[in-house]
Amino acid sequence: MLSYLIRRVLIGCLTLLLITFIVYGLIRSMPGSPLTVQMAEMDPSRKIRPEDYARMQKSFGLDKPWWQAYGVWLGNVARLDFGRSFLQKQPVAKVIGERIGPTLLLSLTSLLLAYLLSIPMGLYATVRNGHHDERFLSTALYMLYSFPTFVTALLLQMLLAVKLELLPLFDMHSQGYEQMSSWEQAWDLFKHALMPVACYTYGSLAYESRFIRANMQEVMKQDYIRTARAKGVGPLAVIFHHAFRNTLIPFVTLIGLTLPTLLSGSVIIEQIFTWPGLGRLFFESISARDYPTIMGLTLVFSVMTLLGTLVADILYAVVDPRISYS
Amino acid sequence: MPTRKTPPREPPASRGFWKESWRRFRRRKLAMAALCFVGFLAIVAIFAPAIAGAKPIVCKYKGRLYFPALGYFNPRWENPVFYRDRFRRIYPQNLKDKDPESWAIWPLVYQDPYRRVKQDEWPGQPENPSGAEGRPNRFNWFGTNQAGVDVFAQMVHGTTIALLVGFVSMGIAAAIGITVGSIAGYLGGWVDIVLSRAIEVVMCVPTLVLILALVAILDKPTIWHMMAIIGCTSWTSIARLGRAEFIKLRESDFVVAARALGVGQFRIMFRYILPNALAPILAPITFGIASAILIESSLSFLGFGAPPPNPSWGTLLNSARSNLQLWWLIVCPGLAIFLAVLSYNLIGEGLQDATDPRLHDGGR
Repeated sequence: MLSYLIRRVLIGCLTLLLITFIVYGLIRSMPGSPLTVQMAEMDPSRKIRPEDYARMQKSFGLDKPWWQAYGVWLGNVARLDFGRSFLQKQPVAKVIGERIGPTLLLSLTSLLLAYLLSIPMGLYATVRNGHHDERFLSTALYMLYSFPTFVTALLLQMLLAVKLELLPLFDMHSQGYEQMSSWEQAWDLFKHALMPVACYTYGSLAYESRFIRANMQEVMKQDYIRTARAKGVGPLAVIFHHAFRNTLIPFVTLIGLTLPTLLSGSVIIEQIFTWPGLGRLFFESISARDYPTIMGLTLVFSVMTLLGTLVADILYAVVDPRISYS
Repeated sequence: MPTRKTPPREPPASRGFWKESWRRFRRRKLAMAALCFVGFLAIVAIFAPAIAGAKPIVCKYKGRLYFPALGYFNPRWENPVFYRDRFRRIYPQNLKDKDPESWAIWPLVYQDPYRRVKQDEWPGQPENPSGAEGRPNRFNWFGTNQAGVDVFAQMVHGTTIALLVGFVSMGIAAAIGITVGSIAGYLGGWVDIVLSRAIEVVMCVPTLVLILALVAILDKPTIWHMMAIIGCTSWTSIARLGRAEFIKLRESDFVVAARALGVGQFRIMFRYILPNALAPILAPITFGIASAILIESSLSFLGFGAPPPNPSWGTLLNSARSNLQLWWLIVCPGLAIFLAVLSYNLIGEGLQDATDPRLHDGGR
């Protein structure tokens, strides 16, 4: 198992190198650069002296061709120096660190909610298989799964924030957040997070409920379930003790595969609700051609994706005793 | 032992895999309903200029027949005689004025997806309202957006874009994915290792970066560029599935027999194994069409789609963001996207159930 792990980590590092190389090449070949973005904001009548221009170019790392600049960036990363963001003029690690909290708040909450709610729903659908309420639930879940998130976000905004004025429209904190007491702060955060979390959760909730139901249906046809019933085991024990455990294998690998989405955040949802998260940071950095931030974010996302697939494969081996990687 | 008087009856010949799958697919009512809805969308998409437009479908002008409505598909298909005669794109009055003998067959609804229809362009039709007065009314069935452009016409023409995007991008993705997957699965060895790493790299690059970077590199992205970009970023799951299928089928008897007969490698891959590997790939392709439509809508929603004028459903939703009071701008395109995605998902699921022999006991 250890040699498998080492092999996967090494291959992962190689893939990481390739990914960052390709992304760096892509963003450097995009027209426009941080220099043009900065010059667009400056007073157009001011003339820039050639030495100042060269100095600005050097500070943005634009004086070297892109593969050389990539090498410089790579060397810095090896020393754990992720550079400074052009846009915010702060170290990239600090900028990402500030935005990780809000994104994790949304994604972890929705992940927990989705898992907590989907297991009972999936099991209920299995128990009541063939009855009207199960068919209604399955159709409702299917429709929920197909509903695009940005449409839901807009509809919720329109209904709850504009027409009924129950919830705030944008952002994470209201005005005067710092002056509130802890209870009021928590309540304020709850009100702001309700709509984004709802939009995040319902898609994966629908998918996982159907996933559990499909797997349970296959398991319930097996012979050992028939034996358990014939033995006289009660219906609840049959479901929880015998059947559900055998659906855990694909379910647990699903957890591993959703790990990357924890941090990638949804650009669209964060844009609609102007939530200060990583997805929006990504979007803003691309528009401002903020190369260090983009590379830092790409590194974070790629590491999470590779870790996610590795965790999924290892969990697969842990949960299923028939599989071993020696 | 008594001998049999009647010869034993031969079992009926099998109809073949695809006909059997079609029979199983037909039994699922929801999937058939979804297929009919997609067919309806296809009809709307093809006849879009005939359903809603400001140009006549066919007209006789100065003794010759013209089809100005085709100008909606491609501006070059609209005959330049209308430009030379100073029609300025307004057909009804000008046709009557400049040639009293002309006749024209008009679309069902006289509205233009690109501009605001003015007062009395079509006799008796007022100017399109805009903003808060643009509620759905007798002339604007789905209302108008803030600039006064009719939403019904935009949605009808947006159907063309949505369906085109779905099919073309998935076609490109399927072509790339099947090729890469089949080569990696069949040849194995170091080719497999290299291609698998390539698939992993493309999977790990954040899709948004890829799409935004490619959109930014191309100076003037048209809708065709968007389709190619979406196709080039969604092929990885098909490639992985194809590779798994090819690895499984590589060891089967008919392949071994073909190799023993001396059939060439590419011929084995594409004429022998591919038709058998296609069944599990079809469902993800259908789901991919749904997700391609979603991606294109999201990109138009964020403002990165094809440049305006672009009557995509996502652009309509984007215009809703600035003023959430105009509910018709959210409900109509949102419902359209939802129904299209739902139909494709249902078709995909129906395909999965119809082609997967494992899930069948007693023909459930």
